[in-house]
Amino acid sequence: MNNELMFFMLSAVILVFSVLTVTTRKILRAAVYLLFVLVATAGLYFQLNYNFLAAVQLTVYAGGIVVLIIFSILLTSHISERAPIASAARAALAALVTVAGAILTLITVMQFTFRPAGIPPISPNVKNVGRALVSYGTDGYALPFEAISILLLAAMIGAIVVARKESNNQSTK
Amino acid sequence: MTFHNILIMRHELLLTIVMLLVLIIDLFATGNNRKLIIPIALILFLTVTAIGFLPAQYGQLFGGMYITSGTTILMKNVLNIAVFIILLQSVAWLKLEENKQKLAEYFVLILSTLIGMNFMISSGDFLMLYIGLETATIPLAALAAYTHHQTKSAEAGIKLILSSALSSGIMLYGISMVYGTTGSVSFAEVALQWGNAPLQMLAFLFFFAGMAFKISLVPFHLWTADVYEGAPVNVTSYLSVVSKGSAAFVLMLVLFRVFPSIVEHWQKVLYAIAVLTMTVGNLFALRQQNLKRFLAFSSIAQAGFILLGIIGASPLGMSTVIFFVLAYVFTNLAAFGVISAVSSATGKENMADYNGLYQTNPKLSLLLMLALFSLAGIPPVAGFFGKFFLFASAASKGFYWLVFIAVVNATVSLYYYLLPVKAMFINKNEQPVPTFRSDFYMKAGLLLAAAGTLAVGMLSIGYEYIASFSYGLQ
Repeated sequence: MNNELMFFMLSAVILVFSVLTVTTRKILRAAVYLLFVLVATAGLYFQLNYNFLAAVQLTVYAGGIVVLIIFSILLTSHISERAPIASAARAALAALVTVAGAILTLITVMQFTFRPAGIPPISPNVKNVGRALVSYGTDGYALPFEAISILLLAAMIGAIVVARKESNNQSTK
Repeated sequence: MTFHNILIMRHELLLTIVMLLVLIIDLFATGNNRKLIIPIALILFLTVTAIGFLPAQYGQLFGGMYITSGTTILMKNVLNIAVFIILLQSVAWLKLEENKQKLAEYFVLILSTLIGMNFMISSGDFLMLYIGLETATIPLAALAAYTHHQTKSAEAGIKLILSSALSSGIMLYGISMVYGTTGSVSFAEVALQWGNAPLQMLAFLFFFAGMAFKISLVPFHLWTADVYEGAPVNVTSYLSVVSKGSAAFVLMLVLFRVFPSIVEHWQKVLYAIAVLTMTVGNLFALRQQNLKRFLAFSSIAQAGFILLGIIGASPLGMSTVIFFVLAYVFTNLAAFGVISAVSSATGKENMADYNGLYQTNPKLSLLLMLALFSLAGIPPVAGFFGKFFLFASAASKGFYWLVFIAVVNATVSLYYYLLPVKAMFINKNEQPVPTFRSDFYMKAGLLLAAAGTLAVGMLSIGYEYIASFSYGLQ
């Protein structure tokens, strides 16, 4: 019962702050609201006994990424700047589509009878997670692990291409 | 798994090596040496493309996460050829003063997206598919914003990244439903358990929406025209040829491999989307003045035609799709090559600027005419046979109305493909684009594209080669 109550509280936090993240007009506030969403998600992982995942969620997402986002906001934009107000028609349409989509998804999810997974769950402790991450057989994740490193490298280079100042060209001529 | 085994991933491994080599060479290149990166990267990539055609072993690696077969290798080779031509055509533009400082990055970003596409084609589960998709998309946004001192290019980058983030989110939600309903993300496992419960239908639709965004099918095409117009020409041709072609391949592979059990349902979805895509793409192409926007809508319409090959779910359909993409690669690259040559020489990209081009640059005009004829599907060039086989494969499965609508659309498209031809050959212009000479790389790129357009149309051996690898729903 306690567990259930906790679940509803965490879900409420996630829902409320997710909506606030995308509706607030100040970008720094959006980043902070996102922090709450990520922390509450870590709470859900703790509930499922995914301690490792929850720790990663807290340190990488809530700790690292939100700080990065806040840094880049402070470096690039004026905090006092507010996002323009969307026109009423547009906001109404967006709300309509979102609510309709949510209701449709909810109904179909409720209708489906989920079966428990056939395979016995592997204990999600650090040892098993680490082993799965670098093993290459069945249930190993070495390939995605390596492929993601290519993605990250490319993303970094892409960020450099976008962020590089044009004036550098002239100075090195 | 031994060293010998891992060599079946040679496309991805070689591309990764080339990408890292270019990155490392860039570290040591200074000043004028930097220009040497271009020939080095081109030679390395040509070698990779050539090695790709050597006979290969097929199989699975990493517990089924990575699958190769004759078909996937063929698809990767088609993409490699396309990328090689695009790289050749980009050289003149890369040598411009404002791009000199970051030309190695151009190669690295192109190669990394290509690696992502290869992983996507070879993926054996949704996890690899998704990672491949992201690797194929995120660097592209940086490429679209490559000349970010121009507002339009920066706008293209931000539009691409935002809309692709949205579509990735939708697709990921679909994949999470796949996992929730089957307890697995492996293609083989999901295919065994897939039924037609409403939630599974919704999961399929969400997944399909994500792929449709990549192929820019209507109604997921809204990003296309703005991004194509804003991005540098070579990036636009990469988006419209390689990115779109790979996504079409992947959609086909996933439909055939994972969702054969609901084939009647996805055929209905494809039917509606194909009709919408062909018609909307054509109607909007009619009124475009910017040639990149024009080709953007033309490529949307062409994507609708590709669906005709997929919808039959047959080996014939599969080989026609690969054949069509091959023809489309050469044809579109010939068109984009001419636009790129004119754009990097003069900076002009509007149809009105092409008035009287034949007077000053007859060879380029003839090439663009050839490409447009092929896009319109006039025999005997590649595009005609591509379309013909697609229509034949759809008709052989009884989709007569769909083929009829497609033929009507192909006829409409003839009109707007002839507009630039009319501009170049008939319209008078006081100040036409002055005569200019392209460099060796551009000439080679254009020549390859033109030769391909003619050869794919004239030689039937290519089609038979492709057909020998294809499979439909078992």
